[in-house]
Amino acid sequence: MIVFEDFTYAYPTGSAPVLRGIDLVVEEGGFHGVVGASGAGKSTLAMAVAGFIPHAQGGEYAGRVAVGGAVVADTPLPELVTRVGLVQQNPFDQISGARFTVREEIAFGLENLGVEREEMARRVDAVMADLGIAGLADRSPYALSGGQQQVVAVASMLVMRPEVLVLDEPTSQLDPGGARMVVEALGAVRRSGVTVLLVTHALELLAEHADTLHVLVDGEIAAQGPPAETLADDRMEEWGVGRPRYTEAAARARRDGLWEADRALPATLGAAAAGFRAAVRTEGGRR
Amino acid sequence: MSTGLSVYRGGDSFVHRLNPVTKLAFVAAVVIAAFGVDSLWWPALLFAALVLPGALWAGVGRRFVLLVFGLIAPFLVILFLLQGLTYPDPGTVLLELGPLAVKTEGLLFAGTTALRLLVMVGAFVLLLLTTDPGTLMSAMQQAGLPPKIAYVVAATMQIVPSFQARANAILQAQQARGMDTSAGGALARGRRLIPLMGPLLLGALTDVENRSIAMESRAFGAATRPTALTVVPDSAAQRAARWAMILAAVAAVALNTLGVL
Amino acid sequence: MTPAVHIEGLVYAYPGGVTALNGVDLRIEHGERVAVIGRNGAGKTTMARQLNGIAKPTAGTVTVCGTDTAGATTARLAASVGYVFQNPSDQIFAKTVRADVEFGPRNLGRSAEETARLAEAAMAATDVLDFADHHPYHLSPAERKRVALASVLAMDTPVVVLDEPTTGQDHRSVRRIERIVADLHAAGTTVIAITHDMDFCAESFDRVVAMAQGRVIADGTPAEVFARPEELELARVEPPQISRLAAELGWADQVTTVDGFVEELSRRAGGAAGAPGA
Repeated sequence: MIVFEDFTYAYPTGSAPVLRGIDLVVEEGGFHGVVGASGAGKSTLAMAVAGFIPHAQGGEYAGRVAVGGAVVADTPLPELVTRVGLVQQNPFDQISGARFTVREEIAFGLENLGVEREEMARRVDAVMADLGIAGLADRSPYALSGGQQQVVAVASMLVMRPEVLVLDEPTSQLDPGGARMVVEALGAVRRSGVTVLLVTHALELLAEHADTLHVLVDGEIAAQGPPAETLADDRMEEWGVGRPRYTEAAARARRDGLWEADRALPATLGAAAAGFRAAVRTEGGRR
Repeated sequence: MSTGLSVYRGGDSFVHRLNPVTKLAFVAAVVIAAFGVDSLWWPALLFAALVLPGALWAGVGRRFVLLVFGLIAPFLVILFLLQGLTYPDPGTVLLELGPLAVKTEGLLFAGTTALRLLVMVGAFVLLLLTTDPGTLMSAMQQAGLPPKIAYVVAATMQIVPSFQARANAILQAQQARGMDTSAGGALARGRRLIPLMGPLLLGALTDVENRSIAMESRAFGAATRPTALTVVPDSAAQRAARWAMILAAVAAVALNTLGVL
Repeated sequence: MTPAVHIEGLVYAYPGGVTALNGVDLRIEHGERVAVIGRNGAGKTTMARQLNGIAKPTAGTVTVCGTDTAGATTARLAASVGYVFQNPSDQIFAKTVRADVEFGPRNLGRSAEETARLAEAAMAATDVLDFADHHPYHLSPAERKRVALASVLAMDTPVVVLDEPTTGQDHRSVRRIERIVADLHAAGTTVIAITHDMDFCAESFDRVVAMAQGRVIADGTPAEVFARPEELELARVEPPQISRLAAELGWADQVTTVDGFVEELSRRAGGAAGAPGA
């Protein structure tokens, strides 16, 4: 569904490329995560999928990026936005300001696309039900919490029936309650069959939900694979990404001989618990 | 219900339920009539017989009076002072105050202008008190207002209050770094505030960048003609009434010019 | 010994009438590291704003480094309390990063040499020296947050308040902030942080104050506070990752840090036999 082939990009103002030789594939219906230190190129990657790079930015663009078979650089942005939805970091900035209730805010995209009224109403009500926000329908988007606003942003994109949803650090400005709301919304997105690319620092979230992680380091992909593998990689610290705390605990325990040497480091809470139970039972799993 | 720059508080009177375009037509009609007819009593009559009763009927009388007079009061003072004392010759002098003279014509002119202002402000306030901003925007768009203009109005209403909050936050942040905002005279204080425009604009610019990406993602400005989710109720009777009001106003002006009224 | 912060019977109501703080009593001695936790709306930021006088008590008293905030301006209290706001864009306004970082110490009356020295040290600690002469507009939000922190560190105040310092920060930045908190503590500075990040809270702070509905509902070490499920529920707060792991393993003893976990694991696994350097 999403294909990057040897993609290299430099911003018009910058000298050095921000992304170099990116090869990345996301299968249809997949849920992939992109992690990396600040400045590694994660947002640039997200924008390259959504098409704002190159269409809104210019810059030096080499290689190929395609979404659902359509080459991004060759497809006009108005068409791309119907295929790729984008959710950004700041909840407040994504409220259009054009509409005064949540229901109308969600419908805004469909209105701009000229969708017929009855179908629009059906789709809006369906999306609100799927994401559990039907109760917010008549409220002002500006009166919602950050988490609620982000779920409305997800709904506003989902209602346009995109093939892909790209989220660029959607929970980084939210409190844990708000972040949980967005995670639940992503569950609904997944169930609807939309392909998801999630750029985030929230490793635990990715551990539980993502099929594949891509680790960006200084503009290049340093590793990609299932969370269980990538999150356990010892190089994550030097890559500036870090690991979930229980993975760290297991790594330290292994050094002290308290984690079975041939057992993979855990990426999820469940795997960590299983591993540590074994450690205590067999007294460190040695001999 | 909406937050932001809005005085609307909800309500269910006949006036509330009218299509906003009908109310706009009312505003246009009374303004045309008030400004077009050359008479002191005409605008007074329009206000007393149409605008004020409209507010009372809608049940927003108290807020109406507070808002209208609150808005007009500063202008009234200036108006009467200026026109009253500086009306050009010739004129019937009532009172002499040194080089300036209070003339009847001046007072009459000031009075007429004041009453015309009263009608205009009153009609607009009546519209805003009885119309949900969202409904107003929808109705205007359905009547043909370009989406981009409607957007600017709606977004300004909803986003400007956040500016006030931001400006406050910025001021507090600088005080928290030891900037004493109370020291010095007005000029010194003003000068100190100028660099603070920076963060406000910087924040606004970043917001604008992000929001324009979000708007693009929602296909704003797409080639197709936009549709609308909510239909604002209208009727043939209202449509007829709109034309009737405008025609009546124009007729009044015409008759007045011809010397009949 | 005068405490760094002494709050007695603090009540605060917004002009509109909503009561945000319902009687808070809190005493923080010099040199403590305190994390304030609780859901949005519990009163954490409202209380923190009392510390440098941005908000004044409706009832009760707030005394900071011996000064009653009621009679002091924010500018004056800034000499005692450095407050790092959550949104760095509200704070940064100068044309270069260096100029912005120097703003605080300059206002507090430091000499030019002292200001330059403090600014240099603060920028080094937050790793923003590379952009010292850049315009802040060109920085990413995460970088701006570091600049905001540097500008307050440069003020060299006895008390530092951090409002959500790790929100939106990447792993390296979080580690950097943990180091900064440790360095401040070593230098005797009182550090108060409002945070949603329970892992950061458990790793870097000795004392946790949990708030809900405008009141303090728990006050103790991380181990003590995270062992109280009812209070955590009220505060709508989840314990640190590592505590959840310990709970999953059925351990009764409260573990809140990775080191603590490994120690406990070592104890339960029957001693440190075979562990290198144990």
